[in-house]
Amino acid sequence: MTPDDTRRDVRTDNLWKIYQQASEEVHAVREVTLTIQPGEFTALAGPSGSGKTTLLNLIGGLTRPTRGQVRVGDHELSTLPNHELARLRLEQIGFIFQAYNLLPVLTARENAEFPMLLQGVSPEERARRVDELFARTGMSGLEDRRPGKLSGGQQQRVAVIRAVASRPALVLADEPTANLDSASSDALLELMAELNRDLGVTFVFATHDARVMDRARRLVQMVDGAIDSDETRR
Amino acid sequence: MTTRRKALQISVIVTLALRNLRRQVRRTLLTALAIILGAGMLVFANALGDGTHEQWIDDGVRAGSGHVTIEHPAFRVSRKLEDRLVADVRAVAEVALATPALADRITGVSAQLTINGMASSAAGARPAQILAVDPQAEIDFTILDEQVIEGRYLQSDDRLAAFVGVGLMETLNLRLGSRLVLTAQDADKEIAGQLVRVVGVFRNGAPPVDNAVVHIPLAVAGEWLGSGSDVSNIAVMVEDSTEVSSLVRDLRQALADPLDAGRVTVLSWREAMPALASLVAVDQYGNYVIFGVLFIIIALGIVNTVLMSVLHRHREFGVLQALGLTPRQTGTVVLIEGLLLTTLSTLVGVGLSTWLTWYFLGDGFDMAVIAGDALANNMDMGSVVIDPIIVPMFSVARTLQTLGWIMLMGILSSIYPAFRAARIDVAESMKFDR
Repeated sequence: MTPDDTRRDVRTDNLWKIYQQASEEVHAVREVTLTIQPGEFTALAGPSGSGKTTLLNLIGGLTRPTRGQVRVGDHELSTLPNHELARLRLEQIGFIFQAYNLLPVLTARENAEFPMLLQGVSPEERARRVDELFARTGMSGLEDRRPGKLSGGQQQRVAVIRAVASRPALVLADEPTANLDSASSDALLELMAELNRDLGVTFVFATHDARVMDRARRLVQMVDGAIDSDETRR
Repeated sequence: MTTRRKALQISVIVTLALRNLRRQVRRTLLTALAIILGAGMLVFANALGDGTHEQWIDDGVRAGSGHVTIEHPAFRVSRKLEDRLVADVRAVAEVALATPALADRITGVSAQLTINGMASSAAGARPAQILAVDPQAEIDFTILDEQVIEGRYLQSDDRLAAFVGVGLMETLNLRLGSRLVLTAQDADKEIAGQLVRVVGVFRNGAPPVDNAVVHIPLAVAGEWLGSGSDVSNIAVMVEDSTEVSSLVRDLRQALADPLDAGRVTVLSWREAMPALASLVAVDQYGNYVIFGVLFIIIALGIVNTVLMSVLHRHREFGVLQALGLTPRQTGTVVLIEGLLLTTLSTLVGVGLSTWLTWYFLGDGFDMAVIAGDALANNMDMGSVVIDPIIVPMFSVARTLQTLGWIMLMGILSSIYPAFRAARIDVAESMKFDR
């Protein structure tokens, strides 16, 4: 691990997320201590309600922990104000959602360029990166279509392009294949594996899809909000 | 943050706002239509209201003592001949009025001597309000010369001539050329009579005017009452009432010496005719209430559209923040949506109403068309006759003021929806169904 890598890792320390539902406390994440190294291709697996998405949201700074700490690189997320969290997400984290979540008023290209626009990347550089990724994902020619005119698989590919084009250190993917058929899922996983390998982007998936788990080089099993097992493969 | 990055972020925010407005075309158009109508009505109603008030004021000041009157400090209350502007004070005032700085702003000046007396003929006697005037100056001032039904108005070479109201003519059984005796207290407080002949008859429409007013030449009155060239007041007209305050201020400055000596006073029409000023003020406040209601209706329309749009896009705002938009920037998207919708619609509304105002600038807007018989003839308020044809008064300042108010309202109406969008719980918003 290089000194630079130390600043790009993700650490959670005794992390808890407790929701209050009526008069009952729901422990969505319990005592999770985890380190994800740069370049990992990690899957958080487990049944529905096991806390995968909540853990992903905690790592991405989309929700705040009840107790414990989340560090992304040098940043301790629980102490950052909302606008700093937004800036951190913009600079370092890409998201891929189960429901794609493309912005319906923007074209595929505009969606893909969105984080880069916020980052202030030049038009030439934006075009270069997006063109390359569209070509690589077989999406060339579909750049000017709005999300409503794309299939689920195509929308998810645009979402992946959006997540990686801004060159984040970390991509958090929440059930990215849940709404896709098996061919589209395989193509998408292959794409993400390539990006992980070629660009060194860290991927963390929340999934219960066996195909994702098979491809992951590290599999963290969660049960009832806690880590049940943590297995690193070749 | 670099300027380039900031500029790009602003362009993203504006693009999102614009695209979102286009996304719900029907909802946007309906709200835009409400704002267009509201803004248009506001501007046109303002122009019509201002035009109405200006007409009331114009009719009032022509029948009374002008936009500005220069008179003896006690005259307004006493209405007596002894409280008059003596010749030297009159001369000082007329010199001041003739200076280019003031003369350029003045459209008419008429020296008048007001006398309360009696008019009598073989058929009887009636109280009369006698106004002695310089016919040449008064013709630019009064509206009575446009209301002649028989004969003509006074002329500068007239001697012993009288221009009388139709009511007085009928009561005293007068005809053109009839002799009429005017009786009043003279400068020595003695009762004095003056024989005059009727040269013209007018019908004003206001009974107090038609039944009592008599115009005679000022020179005749001076000889009759021994007042020489003294006058009760010098009535001054300007283009419109907005110029009155500055003229009063400048005249008071120019006449500082006689003012300080208590020999003269300068009054605006508001001070000289408080009843008319109150009427205008009351009507103006009534208009403000209506405008306030209109503002609220427009504001509710904007809140409804923008808030609905925010509630429908809960998940989307979560996505925007997940992708790196700050809460403040997210709120700004909503604020700009509201502001764009308001600004564009208001500009269209103001444009249409300006065209409408311009259209009616020539011939005016005939209120009788709306009110029917109730306004078919002139209506009178006391001794002032109001023309049912209203010429709207367009004011750039007033229009910009309305524009500013509506835009401010657009911003205020969008603040709550913007706040809702900014304070969204990002993780929770992702749980919403697509």
